[in-house]
Amino acid sequence: MAPIGGLAPVGRRYARLGLGVLALAAGVATLAIARHDAEESFGGRSVGDGILELAAGWSLVLAGLVWWARHPRRGFGPLLTAAGLAWFLPEWSSPAVGSSLVFTVGLVGIGLCAPLVASAALAYPRSGARSSLERAALAVAFGGAALLGPLSATVFDPVAQACFQCPANLVLLHGDGDMFDAAVRWGLRIELAAAVTLMALIAWRVASAAAPRVVTAPVLLPAAAYLALVALELHHSMPGNGLATNPFDVRMWRYEAVTLVTLAGGVAWGVYSSLRARASVARLVVELAQSYASGGARDVLARELGDPGLRLAFRRPASDNYVDSDGRVVDVAPGPGRAVTPLVQAGRPVAALVHDPARLRDADRVDEVVTGARLALENERFHAEIRAQLEELRAARVRIVAAGDLERRRLERDLHDGAQQRLVAVALALGMLRALSTDASPRLKRRLDRVDAELHATIAELRDVATGIFPAMLTDAGLAAAIEMLADGSAGTIDIRRMPRDRLDPALEAAAYFVVAETLRRTHATRAAIEVSRIDGDLVVDLDTDAGTDESLADLEDRVGALDGRLTVQRDADGLHLHAELPCG
Amino acid sequence: MRVGIADDVVLIREGVAQLLTNAGFDVTVKAADADELLRLVALRRPDAVIVDIKMPPTHTDEGLVAADAIRASHPEIGVLVLSQYLATDYALRLLERHPEGVGYLLKERVSDVAVLADALRRVAEGESVLDPTIVSRLMKRREHTPLAELTERELEVLALMAEGHSNQGICSNLFLSPKTVEAHVGHIFSKLGLRETPDHHRRVTAVLTYLRATHDDAR
Repeated sequence: MAPIGGLAPVGRRYARLGLGVLALAAGVATLAIARHDAEESFGGRSVGDGILELAAGWSLVLAGLVWWARHPRRGFGPLLTAAGLAWFLPEWSSPAVGSSLVFTVGLVGIGLCAPLVASAALAYPRSGARSSLERAALAVAFGGAALLGPLSATVFDPVAQACFQCPANLVLLHGDGDMFDAAVRWGLRIELAAAVTLMALIAWRVASAAAPRVVTAPVLLPAAAYLALVALELHHSMPGNGLATNPFDVRMWRYEAVTLVTLAGGVAWGVYSSLRARASVARLVVELAQSYASGGARDVLARELGDPGLRLAFRRPASDNYVDSDGRVVDVAPGPGRAVTPLVQAGRPVAALVHDPARLRDADRVDEVVTGARLALENERFHAEIRAQLEELRAARVRIVAAGDLERRRLERDLHDGAQQRLVAVALALGMLRALSTDASPRLKRRLDRVDAELHATIAELRDVATGIFPAMLTDAGLAAAIEMLADGSAGTIDIRRMPRDRLDPALEAAAYFVVAETLRRTHATRAAIEVSRIDGDLVVDLDTDAGTDESLADLEDRVGALDGRLTVQRDADGLHLHAELPCG
Repeated sequence: MRVGIADDVVLIREGVAQLLTNAGFDVTVKAADADELLRLVALRRPDAVIVDIKMPPTHTDEGLVAADAIRASHPEIGVLVLSQYLATDYALRLLERHPEGVGYLLKERVSDVAVLADALRRVAEGESVLDPTIVSRLMKRREHTPLAELTERELEVLALMAEGHSNQGICSNLFLSPKTVEAHVGHIFSKLGLRETPDHHRRVTAVLTYLRATHDDAR
C-alpha cells in the first residue's frame, strides 16, 4: 500500500507537513467540541481526559509522520497518521457542535480508528507479508466501519431521531429509522467480530516471531490491547444499539487512549533503536577504516543484528564460491537451522550473511546495517580474497612438500629393497666364487679381492645415497634417532645438544630433519651444533655451523612455511645460524 | 653346527645357505618370514640363526621382533640380525635388551664367509657381536666425553671390546701380548670409571651402555 506514493519526494514532504498542521488543528477543535458539550463527550469531562484525548491522537500522528519520513514507501506511516486523525472523529458528531460539516464528518468517521490501527499494525514494519486471512479480516473491519459510519449516516435523520439541537446531516439521502437501527446493529456486530479476529491475528504475529519480537512487540502488543478494548466497548454498545458515552464507555475510551499512546511510544522506540544502530555502524566504519582487523566486520554485524552465530561470507568472483575473512570456504546453501541473506551490490551478489533463520527477520535492520558498513565490508571482502588466495597457496605448498616426501620415501625404498639387495646378492655370489677359488692364482685372487672391496664400497655409498634421500630411521625410530644417525655418518663433528625423545607428527619430523640435514649438506661444515626443543607448543630447531653456503635455502623455507612455521637464517663470519619454529598443533 | 637363516629374498637366502653349507655348517632352517622362522626354530632348535631385519609383511623391523621372540623362548639359540641400515640406534637398543647371544651386522657381511662364521659361532656361545662400522661411528662420539682421554691404542682396544671380542681376540687382532691387552683394558675401565667384570659379554654391554649414556648425557 502506497497511498501517496505517486507524489514526488518534495510533494510527500509537504503532504506530511500539511497533515501535521491538520492534526494540530483537529486536536484543538476536538478538545473545543468536547469541552463545549462535556456530558456527551469523552475528552471534555476533565483536564485529564482532555490530555488523554490529545496525547493519543497527536502521538499517533507524530509517530506516523516520523516513520513515514524515514520509510516513504511503506504503508505503516500513512496508516498510523490516518488512525491518529480518526481517533478524534467520534467527538465530532456531538449534537452541540454547531457545524453541519463537522457533524457529518463525525458521523461518517465514527468507526474508522480501530480498522486503521489494525491495518497499521499488520503493515509493521513492512506490509509485504500480510496473509489472506489478515487481508480478509481487515476488509471485514472496514466493512463494519462503513456500516457504522457512511452507510448509517445516509439514513440518519437527526430530527426524526429526536435530536432537535443537531446540525444538518449533509449526507442524508433518505431518513429511515429502521434502516438506521439495522445498519448500526450489523455494523456493531461486524466490527466486533473483525476486532476480535484482528486482535488475535496481531497477537499471533508477535507470538510466532515472524519478525524479531524486540522490533514488533512494542507496537503490535499495544495495538492488540487497543483492539481488545474496542471489542469490549462494541460488545457493551450492542444492547443500546449505538455508540454512547456512559461510564463504561468512557472507562474503555481512557484505556484505549493509553494503549494508543503506548503504541506510538513503541514506534518511537523502533525509530530510536534503528538510529542508534546506524550510529554504531557509522562508528564501525570509522573504526575499521582506522585500524583494520580481520573478521571485525563479522563481529560487529553479529552484535548489531543480534545473531552471535552469524557468518559473513564473501563471494569470490573467480571461483564463484564464498569465503570468510580468513579465506576459508563457507557453505552458503540454506539448510535446516540456517538461512542465507545475500548482500547485493550493483545487481551482483558480493557477500552473504549465513544466520539463524529465527533471527535477522528484520530485513530493515540488515539493509541499514549493511548499507552503513559497506565500506568496511568492501575492505574486508578484499582481504578475504587475498587470504583465500594465500590459503590456496599454503595448501599447494603443503601438497608439494608432502608429494616430495612421498617420492623421496619411495625412491629410498626402491634403492634399499631393489638395487641394494641385488648388490648384496652379487657380493654373496662373489663371496662364494672366492671361497671356491682357493686354488686360483694369486693374481686372480688379488683381482677378486679388489672387486669385492669395490662392491662393498658401492653398497656403502648406495646406502648413504638412499639415507640422504630419505632416512628410514626417521619413519621407523623418529627424529632423534635419525639426527643421531646423520651426526654419526657426518664427516664433521656434530654436537647434538638437545633432542626431544618422543615421536612427533611425521610431517613435523621430516621438516625438522631436512632443515638440519640439508643445511649440513650444503654448508660442508666441519663443526655444527644442533638443539631441538619443544617450547610453548612449538618445535624449535637451532643449528649453528662453522661454514656458510651460497646455495639458496628456499626449499627449506617452503618446508617450514607449509607447516605455518618460521625460518630465519643469519649468515656471518662464523658461519650460518639457522632458527626454525614449527607449530606442533 | 646347526644354523638357520630367514630372508624373504630367495637369492640371498639360498646363497647364504649354500655358503654356510660349503663352510661346514648344517643349515637346518630356511625361512622366508618371521612366522615361518619361529615355527621352524621351535621344531629344529638350531644353535644360531641369521635374521634379516626387513621381512614381510611390513618390511620394517620384523627381524628385530623375531630376535626378541627367539631370545625369550630359546635363550640357548644365538641370533644374528642383519640390517641394510647403519642404524646405531637399532643396534644399541638390541644389544641393551639382549646382552648375550645377539649380534648386529650390516647385510653385506654375508658375502664374507669368515666374518659370518665367526659371528655365528660367537652368538651361539652367548657372546655379543657388533658391526665394526657401527663401532667406529660410536667411537666418533668421543668428543666431549671421557673417551677423549683415551690413547689411540686404548681406543682400538675399546672398539674391539665393543665389537664383542674377548681379550684373546683382541690379542690376535692387534698382535699384542695378553699382558699388554689386560693392561690396556684396565686403563680403559679406570679412565671411564667402570668396574671390570669377568664375563666377556657383560664387559661389552658395559661399554655400549657407557657409550650410549655419555652420548645421551651430552644433550
